[in-house]
Amino acid sequence: MPEFGPITCAGCGLLCDDVLVDAADDAVRLTPDCDLGAQWFSERLLRPAGAPSATIDGKPVDVGSALTRAAELLRGARRPLLHGFEHATVEDARAAVALADRLGAVIATDDGEWAGAPAVPLRGASTATLGEIRDRARVVVIWREDPESTHPRLLERLGIGGGVERTLVVVDDSDTATAGRAEVRLGWPPGRDLEALTTLHALQRGLTVRAGELELPLSGLLKRLRAVPHVAFVYGAGLTAGAGGQRRALALHELVRALCHERHAVTLELPGAPGTRSADDVLAWQSGYGGNVDFASGHPELVTATQPLDDVDVTLLVEPGSAGAAEIALGSLAAGPGVEVWIRTAAAGVDGGGTAHRLDGVPLALQAPLPGEAPSAAAVLTRLLAEVER
Amino acid sequence: MTAIRISGGRVHDPANNVDGEIRDLCLQDGKVVSEVGPDARRIDARGMVVMAGGVDIHAHIAGPKVNAARKLSPDERRDHPVNRSEGLRSGTGGLVPSTFTTGYRYSLLGYTTVVEAAAPPLAARHVLSELRDTPMIDKAFLILMGNNQVLFKLIRQSGGAVSSQLRDAIAWWLEATGGYGVKLVNPGGIELWKQENGNVTSLDDEVTGFEVTPRQILDAIAGAVDELGLPHPVHIHANNLGVPGNADTTLETMRTVSGRQAHFAHLQFHSYGGKPEGLPRSRASDLIEYLAAHPEITADVGQVMFGPAVTMTADGPVSAVLRDLGADKWINHDTEVETGCGIVPYRYRSGNYVHALQWGIGLELFLLGQNPWQVMLSTDHPNGGSFLSYPKLIRLLMDRAFREDQMARANQRAIQRTALTDGLDREYTLNEIAIITRAGPARRLGLREKGHLGIGADADVTIYHDRADREEMFATPRYVIKAGEVVVEEGELRRSPDGLLLSSRAGFDPEVSRVLEPLFGERYTVAFEHYPVREAALREPAQVVEAQRS
Ligand code: SF4
Ligand SMILES: [Zn+2]
Repeated sequence: MPEFGPITCAGCGLLCDDVLVDAADDAVRLTPDCDLGAQWFSERLLRPAGAPSATIDGKPVDVGSALTRAAELLRGARRPLLHGFEHATVEDARAAVALADRLGAVIATDDGEWAGAPAVPLRGASTATLGEIRDRARVVVIWREDPESTHPRLLERLGIGGGVERTLVVVDDSDTATAGRAEVRLGWPPGRDLEALTTLHALQRGLTVRAGELELPLSGLLKRLRAVPHVAFVYGAGLTAGAGGQRRALALHELVRALCHERHAVTLELPGAPGTRSADDVLAWQSGYGGNVDFASGHPELVTATQPLDDVDVTLLVEPGSAGAAEIALGSLAAGPGVEVWIRTAAAGVDGGGTAHRLDGVPLALQAPLPGEAPSAAAVLTRLLAEVER
Repeated sequence: MTAIRISGGRVHDPANNVDGEIRDLCLQDGKVVSEVGPDARRIDARGMVVMAGGVDIHAHIAGPKVNAARKLSPDERRDHPVNRSEGLRSGTGGLVPSTFTTGYRYSLLGYTTVVEAAAPPLAARHVLSELRDTPMIDKAFLILMGNNQVLFKLIRQSGGAVSSQLRDAIAWWLEATGGYGVKLVNPGGIELWKQENGNVTSLDDEVTGFEVTPRQILDAIAGAVDELGLPHPVHIHANNLGVPGNADTTLETMRTVSGRQAHFAHLQFHSYGGKPEGLPRSRASDLIEYLAAHPEITADVGQVMFGPAVTMTADGPVSAVLRDLGADKWINHDTEVETGCGIVPYRYRSGNYVHALQWGIGLELFLLGQNPWQVMLSTDHPNGGSFLSYPKLIRLLMDRAFREDQMARANQRAIQRTALTDGLDREYTLNEIAIITRAGPARRLGLREKGHLGIGADADVTIYHDRADREEMFATPRYVIKAGEVVVEEGELRRSPDGLLLSSRAGFDPEVSRVLEPLFGERYTVAFEHYPVREAALREPAQVVEAQRS
């Protein structure tokens, strides 16, 4: 297999677009080196030959029959749900929201987990693209995330370890690879994150606080933050997932907003999957809401975490990351056993193209270095919509 | 495509010196034609007013900042659901509507062309994707170039003069993004904001690290755009927006670009007297006086309307000021190399001195100016209020009694400090409204086939009931015809065509890539070769307007 590049890797939300792919000897290597990216490409480049283009109950069928069956299921559904999007493009998400609108379905862009309600609508946020952080931030605080395993080139792309004078602070009590690279390491159990953030904020405001053993490390951190003109915080599900996640995220944004009065301060959120940001952006512009949206009433309504969806009867997975159970799945990797109708799609960035939004919102093209026959999820969804409307 | 004869309407087509004549208008194949056959559809427009479709020269409808504002304010849109219906998509309205709803609402208002006035070039793919999902209207976007570090380098290298490299770089950027024109927002100031919360306060402040000044940026880029002969001249959001006393900066900016064509955005926000820390007063008359002597300068007003708004701007430091006025919500977003962004939901209150003064200054700019071709209608949607408030604004201009009634409800100390109470009894005519809402903007955008109804013009036509209540009249056109198709009838959407992307093109020396590539490599986190938008689906259907070098 040839060597190609530089192209965009869609192995994580960083969408590095400088990647050379060497797929010789049935093993994939990337330059610059990235294990996650190499794994992502090899799963898609080295797919077994002769895989069917669609299956119903695991048996190979032609795409037309699969579409007919999928449309029947969707037409008969009382409460259809579209989710997944871990590897979706902007185009896939556009077609998915169009279908959800037509069906009166629920659509969830947060990989199907009912993540906590977002904090940004409460007070806003200060954010920046990767280049801004790389070129300006002098202290980078990574809060309970391990990008070394989830976004392997993040530190490199933020210029950490690149010779510029910069402090990497990691807040984490477990021994992650990222924590191993920290210049300053702060550790307390996750249950104390809210307290830590509000304490930092109080200290920033000059209040006297009693925070026990947190007080010393937090005062030290504040001193570092105050000593430089530009700081950045990297966070993600490690802070925002689970009970109280919205309050913790809000506390972070409040702290950053307070810090902004004295210096420039920004945040960068690590998404759960490479396609999440694209899908969420599209859902927001087409419906007006990010996150999870219900079209059942004929117009978009925001679904919050407090409204569980026990009545979903037909699930359509769009470019999922793993083979979960669903009535219908559209994906570039083979479906798991729990899927009734599966249609194989092109992997955007390998045998299909498209547009994707990087974790900081920057839109990028995904190239198709090895164009193939399989349709994109967008194309399948558009055909599905036509079939449903028939 | 069907032919249409609009018969018996009163036609207001100021670009062709037609002022309320009763005449037939014939449309075929998307264009205005001299005659159509007997089988043409006949629209009886007796008793109605016929104008070209509206053209919005400055609004914020698509791209990352608009979408961030949507995500920021789900509460604001909850009250404005839009149901899906046959052939139409669902969505949400309010101050920052979803994309489909934006297209539908503009069309229902009789607008057929809209310019998104501030797009980060790095985000072009996002802007284009949203515009693709904004049906009914033709749309263009302006790319932000006033804080671009690569251009700073080129400007410094040429000592502030226009260089062929700068010209080529700008043309390259338009080609790379599909943009239509060049926007400068607070030149130099946003770069300082992103460095350490700084800003510039005068045109001669130096941009730290780049050794250029706002004056050099303005001079060089206005000159380059002028020399390129782009269809739309440089579009300027001047320094010191909102700051009392900023009229001096605005006048100085106008003098700096003098001799070149230039459009000034939302002039109302740049027309203040007073001292920076004190209360503003109006200097609208000084600016209007300058405009009267300088036909090469145009402006849109950026009227504020009492009620809710969402401020969204590339001018990050301005948003921080609004944040500190007690805003609940604030978004800041820094885009590498190019620009910033700030968003603050806001409310203009009629009893508030500053807000009432802003409202009054906007009206002064409209009413004091003698040349409506120079001063165009905008609310800087949604910064001064939604585009849905245009009909009310039109009524304020056309109906003196209504205006006086509204003035009486506003903060009197502010109103007394404007010329509105000095017997400013002017009422706009329908022809003047046609100029400030379509003929003027189209001409300024260099869209020769828009904004008028002469033979060969685009068949974008709006037909209104001639009602005494001008707000009602302009809020609910009877028919809207887009590219020769009736899209609104009886005040309802009938069809949802896509609309075109309007891009401009100027020739450039491809060797400019050799200059740009290393500068990109140093600064961007996106590869030079992947930056240009080549995906056909994002750039089509398009109409390309060629630059005309003098
Ligand atoms: S960091 Fe992510 S995007 Fe970059 S090469 Fe690795 S997997 Fe791909
Ligand atoms: Zn604007």
